Amino acid sequence: MIEVRHLKKSFGSLHVLRDIDLKVEKGDVVAILGPSGSGKSTFLRSLIDLEEADGGDIIIDGKYLCKDGKYPKNKEKKAILDKTGMVFQHFNLFPHMDIEKNLMLAPLMQKKGSRADIAALALEMLTKVGLADKLHEMPKNLSGGQKQRVAIARALMLKPDVMLFDEPTSALDPELTGEVLNVIRELSKENMTMLIVTHEIGFAREAANKILFLDGGYTAAFGSPEEVLENSGSERINAFLKKVL
Amino acid sequence: MPLNEWIPQMLTGCELTLKLFFITIALSMPLGLCLTFLYTSKNPVISRIVGFYILIMRGTPLLLQIFFVYFGLPYMPLVGKYLVIKDRFNAGAIAFILNYGAYFAEIFRGGLLSVDKGQYEAAKVLGLTDMQTRTKIVLPQMFRIALPAISNEAIILIKDTALITAIGLTDLLKVTQSIVNRTTQISAFVVAAAFYLVMSYALTFVFKLIEKKFEY
Ligand SMILES: Nc1ncnc2c1ncn2[C@@H]1O[C@H](COP(=O)(O)OP(=O)(O)O)[C@@H](O)[C@H]1O
Ligand SMILES: [Mg+2]
Repeated sequence: MIEVRHLKKSFGSLHVLRDIDLKVEKGDVVAILGPSGSGKSTFLRSLIDLEEADGGDIIIDGKYLCKDGKYPKNKEKKAILDKTGMVFQHFNLFPHMDIEKNLMLAPLMQKKGSRADIAALALEMLTKVGLADKLHEMPKNLSGGQKQRVAIARALMLKPDVMLFDEPTSALDPELTGEVLNVIRELSKENMTMLIVTHEIGFAREAANKILFLDGGYTAAFGSPEEVLENSGSERINAFLKKVL
Repeated sequence: MPLNEWIPQMLTGCELTLKLFFITIALSMPLGLCLTFLYTSKNPVISRIVGFYILIMRGTPLLLQIFFVYFGLPYMPLVGKYLVIKDRFNAGAIAFILNYGAYFAEIFRGGLLSVDKGQYEAAKVLGLTDMQTRTKIVLPQMFRIALPAISNEAIILIKDTALITAIGLTDLLKVTQSIVNRTTQISAFVVAAAFYLVMSYALTFVFKLIEKKFEY
């Protein structure tokens, strides 16, 4: 479903991604771990064209988003990324719109159906994340956990096949992380393909079927949670795990 | 103090003051918005030119600009003969619009800069086009951020309108001046001050309402 080969990216003289490979199958839940500054966000963002890679390939559903560091035209990029959604650490809800408008904007703009159908879908998605009663609230009146659940619902409005999460619980008070992780767990039960940058090792171990460990711009390990977390034999990984656990 | 005589005269003066105010607001804000987009465009030449324009407009007195548009333009080499603006009011209004457009451009630019970059990223991953992002996400937030500064600028404008008397037009201030000259009663100035105060206060009030409406 997603294949990444020899991905490279630098900011000026800072080589953030040196050589990243990854293969994601449909229904995979990939947790991306690694020390701060190891390029996790840059990598995830490059999968949805928020960062442009300098070299390597990104193939989504058989189509090249990036081939040898070269990108197709905007329109084509858009079509390739049509089925990819993303959720940010800081939610990025639109503060001047109520929750319903936040959800409906993108499908309306992309003419994904009649207004009535899109409104019905908005209610359905909000119900799914347990916030049906917040339909007409403004974002500022929600807690962090609720905002993040709305952000997830907003991304789901476009019926994505792949969801990218960049530290979805890092901006939340500890007691609010559970409600967001639960929503992500539900999605994995529905076979949603997901890539999740996270520091929640427990969650990664239990919810992910693959773990990508980044270090210094390289893939330090990629495999099942047991392989990466227990038997990698890598000192760097063990040192990292000791620190975050 | 024959208020019953003064007030009707002053009201006719206010008419010009208000006309100039509304025309300037209505045209300089869209001008400012266009200038902001040009200024922040990726083309460095366009950006430089607009930057230079803003520098001139903000760096020289409005009074000088009014004189220049009315008296100076016709003397421009080559194009001068096409730039004769016979109507004093039109000439004055053009100077006001050009000047206030530059100020609004700066205000809007500040608002634009304070829209969080996460908003652009969210719009992009939701598949919005640049135009949709601009109209649905960026402009409403920019406008909200800029409102207090816009309100401030509008209040300055209502007082600045008095500058138009310099090219021989009769506004509230000019009417008052001639009353004082005629009757030697300085108190007419106090009445005029009350008029300006009422207008400024009404503006403040209206902008408070607008700010409430756009609050989020
Ligand atoms: N837009 C950017 N410009 C310059 N440097 C950047 C930019 N984005 C990220 N970096 C740098 O790249 C490195 C990796 O960042 P990031 O991918 O955010 O790491 P992580 O998410 O793993 O903490 C960091 O050193 C960061 O400072
Ligand atoms: Mg990060």
